[in-house]
Amino acid sequence: MRSLVPFVVMLVVAVAAFYLFPYNLAFLTRVVITMILVLSLDLILGVAGVSTLGQAAMYGSGAYAAGLFAIHVWHDPLAGLAVGAAAGAVVAFVSGLFLTRAHGLTLLMLTIAVTEVLQEIANKFSAITGGTDGLGGIRMGRVLGIWKFDFVGRTGYIYAVCVLFVVVVVLKIVIGSPFGLALRGIGDSPARMRAIGTPVTRRLIAAYTLSGAVAGLAGAMAAQSTALVSLGVYDFQLSAEAMIMLILGGTGRLWGALIGTAVFMTVHQVASSVDPFNWLFVIGLLVLAVVYAVPRGLLGLPDEVKRLLRRLK
Amino acid sequence: MTKPTMGPALAAAVALVLAGTAGADTIKVGVVAPFSGPFAMYGKQFKDAIDVYVAEHGTKAGDHEVQFIYKDTGGPNPDTAKSVTQELLVKDGVNYLAGYTFTPNALAVAPLVDQAQVPTVIFNAATSIITTKSPYFVRTSFTTPQVAGPLADWAIAQGIKTVVTSVTDYGPGIDAEKGFVKEFEAKGGKIVDSIRMPIATSDFSPFMQRIKAAAPNALFTFIPAGPPAFAFVKSYSDNGLSAAGVQFLGTGDLDEETTLQGLGDAALGIHTSFPYSVAHESAMNTQFKADLAKVDPGAVANFASVGAYDGTEALYRMIAAGGTDGDAGLKAVLGASWESPRGPVSIDPKTHHITENMYIRVVAKDDKGQLINKEIETIKDVPDLGLVSK
Repeated sequence: MRSLVPFVVMLVVAVAAFYLFPYNLAFLTRVVITMILVLSLDLILGVAGVSTLGQAAMYGSGAYAAGLFAIHVWHDPLAGLAVGAAAGAVVAFVSGLFLTRAHGLTLLMLTIAVTEVLQEIANKFSAITGGTDGLGGIRMGRVLGIWKFDFVGRTGYIYAVCVLFVVVVVLKIVIGSPFGLALRGIGDSPARMRAIGTPVTRRLIAAYTLSGAVAGLAGAMAAQSTALVSLGVYDFQLSAEAMIMLILGGTGRLWGALIGTAVFMTVHQVASSVDPFNWLFVIGLLVLAVVYAVPRGLLGLPDEVKRLLRRLK
Repeated sequence: MTKPTMGPALAAAVALVLAGTAGADTIKVGVVAPFSGPFAMYGKQFKDAIDVYVAEHGTKAGDHEVQFIYKDTGGPNPDTAKSVTQELLVKDGVNYLAGYTFTPNALAVAPLVDQAQVPTVIFNAATSIITTKSPYFVRTSFTTPQVAGPLADWAIAQGIKTVVTSVTDYGPGIDAEKGFVKEFEAKGGKIVDSIRMPIATSDFSPFMQRIKAAAPNALFTFIPAGPPAFAFVKSYSDNGLSAAGVQFLGTGDLDEETTLQGLGDAALGIHTSFPYSVAHESAMNTQFKADLAKVDPGAVANFASVGAYDGTEALYRMIAAGGTDGDAGLKAVLGASWESPRGPVSIDPKTHHITENMYIRVVAKDDKGQLINKEIETIKDVPDLGLVSK
């Protein structure tokens, strides 16, 4: 029963946000989409311990796949999500075949390289992708044929929250499964897992592919809600910020990804609307504060406080 | 979907919006631009130019008080551009929009602008197609073909018969190449070779060797301002192209004034075309520079400044004529003409794009030893060639 509590909290927060900030739904939708991206990173980085700065590779591929699918094939949103997720999975699987054999700095560099290569491909094939101008002309149909994407963004928000729910549930099940436990073991010590007979590389490729599918899903949602895909979906900054949000919230437990994203993007939003010229300062201070004060992220905050209190006694 | 019950927060927000649009007759203008990150220069130039305009003309347009609300997009980031624009429209209740530095950002907001019927003045984004995406777009900058075409004409007039084009391999570079090649070949010139250079290149020697080997009368280039342009120009001079008689032609993006001094003496004698040079000689431009120095001492004007300055002129004209009625405002500015720091300009009622003079400039030194873009020839009233030709 206790494990249901976070889900209820999540639902309450999502509904409350909908009614409390009816004029910020576009922003809230972006937060939810980013949460899905950060969740995908949590699976591969937080659980399986693979340090990557290349999540944008799958996010971007999902975005372009969903955009092109909507323009040329069918404008159904859910079908578009499936296509985006598939594109993310394919990119992750293919790149995972060699990425999972690298470690440490080499791995970081390779994940960045994959993203850059994809960005350059998208730039080169501007007849298909629109290049620097972006892939425009995406028109989305109704969700399940019933709900139209409206101007204020109500449908977009509810749609995104529903997808987020499904993703969290699926990832929770995966992490709790024997496969998930194996990943956690690999995250702690690949050598030991190999010694007890786990096919480490194969498990990692599977995890990376799943993570890629989720990232592709996030990209597809972004493409649908913005109705335009630009080369920016492959930006290094996207991968880096996703990592910052994850570290801010706390790695390996999914909820940290949600909290980190919500806090980071809210601070970002508030700071940049209060002072659109110097707000980056605030973000810098926030990241510094978290790294120094709560190295295990906001999720670790209660434990840190408890330890502090115990020491005071 | 059920209608949400109005919470107290919502009620308060609605009251605010109503007060903003109907009550005190303050017209709100949302300005969406990069104010942080590597492209923050644009945001700063926009804001400075708006401040100069307001300092000169007051905060009132006609009977209406004008208020600017700034939103940051970082860089070319259509997701952010769209969501901040949506927020400006539904939350702040802006009546006009302005800014937009990058093409994807402008394209992403086209459906919003259309639906909300809010006139939007593009201060910069330079791809021709933008103004075709919504009848509420008006643009006060320039397009790449508008700059490259006249340069090709001028080259022909100078007796240049063969050219190698060498552009950065991305949207604007390819637009410039196409614009130049089309005009140059139509007038009987010959393109010997077309080189597209990767965006991240910093060593241009191989390209320069290739150009030198082809021995054309001139090279034509589009390259973004800043470090890539510095390296390109230096490489041109180091490889002895100018000594070999290969003239340097380019769009004015590469020697815009905020980075012009960084090009160094290697840039002396290169020719570029652009709608605005800070060295443009007119009373209006002198006044503009003097007022800019008052608003932000040490600031250097450039194309983004005049794009925003004329954009603000367009906004004031629309607000004075239409107030909250965007359609009436839009009508007032289409076909309007005025004197700008860059020279005479007008808004083409068909393309919603600015018609302006193009200047062929040569990089020279002023009496203080600073590099300037000295205008040597004027091509009058150039429309957006990218759209006209289609």
